[in-house]
Amino acid sequence: MPAREGTYGLLAEFDTPSDLVRAAQQARRDGWRRMDCYTPYPVEEAAEAIGFHRNKVPLITLIGGLMGLVAMFALETWVSVLAYPLNIAGRPLYSWPAFIVPAYEWTILFAGLSAAFGMLALNGLPALYHPLFNAPNFRNGATTDKFFLCLEALDPKFDLVEGRKYLESLNPVSVVEVEY
Amino acid sequence: MGHEAHAKTLPAELGAPAFVDAWKMRALMVGMVFSLIAAALAFADHSINHVLRGWLLGLTLTFGWAVGGLALLMVQYVTGGKWGLLLRRPLEAMSRTLPLVFVYWLVIAFEMKKLYLWARIGDASAALKAGWINEIQAHAIEFKRPMLNPTAFVVTSVVCFLIWGLYTWRLNALGLKRDLDSPANTPMWIKKLENISGPGILIYSLTMTACVIYWVMSLDVTWYSSVYGLLFLVGQGYQVLALGIIVSIGLSKGEPFKTILRQTEQHDLGKFTFAFVMLNIYLAFSQFLIIWSGNLPEEIPWYLDRFQGGWGVIITLDFIFHWLIPFTLLLSRDIKRNKKRLVLVCQWMIFAKAFDLFWLIEPNFPGAARNLHFSWGILEYIAVPVALVSFWIAYFCMQLKTRPLVQTNDPHVAEILEAEHAHA
Repeated sequence: MPAREGTYGLLAEFDTPSDLVRAAQQARRDGWRRMDCYTPYPVEEAAEAIGFHRNKVPLITLIGGLMGLVAMFALETWVSVLAYPLNIAGRPLYSWPAFIVPAYEWTILFAGLSAAFGMLALNGLPALYHPLFNAPNFRNGATTDKFFLCLEALDPKFDLVEGRKYLESLNPVSVVEVEY
Repeated sequence: MGHEAHAKTLPAELGAPAFVDAWKMRALMVGMVFSLIAAALAFADHSINHVLRGWLLGLTLTFGWAVGGLALLMVQYVTGGKWGLLLRRPLEAMSRTLPLVFVYWLVIAFEMKKLYLWARIGDASAALKAGWINEIQAHAIEFKRPMLNPTAFVVTSVVCFLIWGLYTWRLNALGLKRDLDSPANTPMWIKKLENISGPGILIYSLTMTACVIYWVMSLDVTWYSSVYGLLFLVGQGYQVLALGIIVSIGLSKGEPFKTILRQTEQHDLGKFTFAFVMLNIYLAFSQFLIIWSGNLPEEIPWYLDRFQGGWGVIITLDFIFHWLIPFTLLLSRDIKRNKKRLVLVCQWMIFAKAFDLFWLIEPNFPGAARNLHFSWGILEYIAVPVALVSFWIAYFCMQLKTRPLVQTNDPHVAEILEAEHAHA
């Protein structure tokens, strides 16, 4: 992918989570969709305010779990029935009760790994570069005591001049333009 | 934070809403109808044997709620948490149904000889010679005589009832006293109830194990399983949480539960129930896997009695009803957060528990082992438990009415009144 150029978005800084949440709620009411909030600690109201929606992590976890289950059960069946048939105390080769425990363990293992890596992948992590770190106030404040709302340039409503005016109407501490 | 100053307040009236009386009346009517059905079935079957077996099932279920409710009451005192505040009064009401469960048990104690082989057979070697029992049974009856005899059965059960009664009385009395005391003393009360409950949980698990061994496991004199008590312990958690959720959501149609039942805690209870669903199959399957792997003549017939001759269908359905359906449904976040659907799952779970007990109890008897067949009597497994459970529910509703539904001297009250965050 060629390097993106131009404006990533407009970043508004707030001093308190309440200001941020109010601004985010207003922006969503006014039709903004491509936007995000950045806070030093989880602020659930902010996630709600920008329309936090369900994601695909549960589905990925389910599929991962089922894959683990099927893979292990198939492996055990293949080993015991076809590849290396052994007579163990006269039990049938296909002794499914004995297969359950490893299959169960693999279900858990695959589901857990799928959940963790699926979450990271859907978050776009690991990210070696993010344009927001070009903003000095973001670099210094986002992990300590500042609250940010970013309107992204991908939003169809986005316009550099109008967007800045709009954000300023929400009474932020500052509004800066963020370049890719 | 400034933008969420909308905490609710507790309503003035904290008693159970009036519709609990309607529940009681409905339960009583269902109980009467099913008692009549049970009586009719007994006439059709020309025998009271199945009535007693169904009665044992009903006893085990209601015992699970009364004593399991007491145990979960102690657990929530020890762990704390908002779910505990929510369920506290319903659990107390469950624990106060113990006298009714004792009455149910009396019937089993009086009619012991009709249910338990060891109680019926006084002289095992004579019975062996007469061909009534086989050699293994004769040996087991003789060998286990010090434990499996009518006196020990009655004494052990009565002692256990007394211990549970003591805990029920103590915890229920202190629960009310705490609300009358000044809020400044709440930390002392929390510690005190915790200190009573901690050892109580241990004593509960021992006494409950003793009783299920006598009441249910000893139906088959030859068989034993060391995980049996734990299996019932988890089963009681399973059914108590299911009923706790049904009651909380039912009560939330009126005050005060309308105010205090938040989606967050409902979701937590759903997750808690899910854990018991998982633990339940884990233990049940472990027991099976160990016995299946060992394949010993002392142990495996118990399973063969329950797999062969049509019982395979029942155990397959049991697996689906008892685990697969609750498991897959409770995986869903949406179902756990939806009142109507969560209640349906919990009602299903109670049915599944009864179904599982049917599979545990009926194959103990000579005609039924490895031979699932229809008789009018087998329908008693529906009629008698429904009647007993209905009367129990009526009694439970009565108990629910006797005290306020919310403990006010509890730090969790303020938290539970806070507005909750909506999640996707």
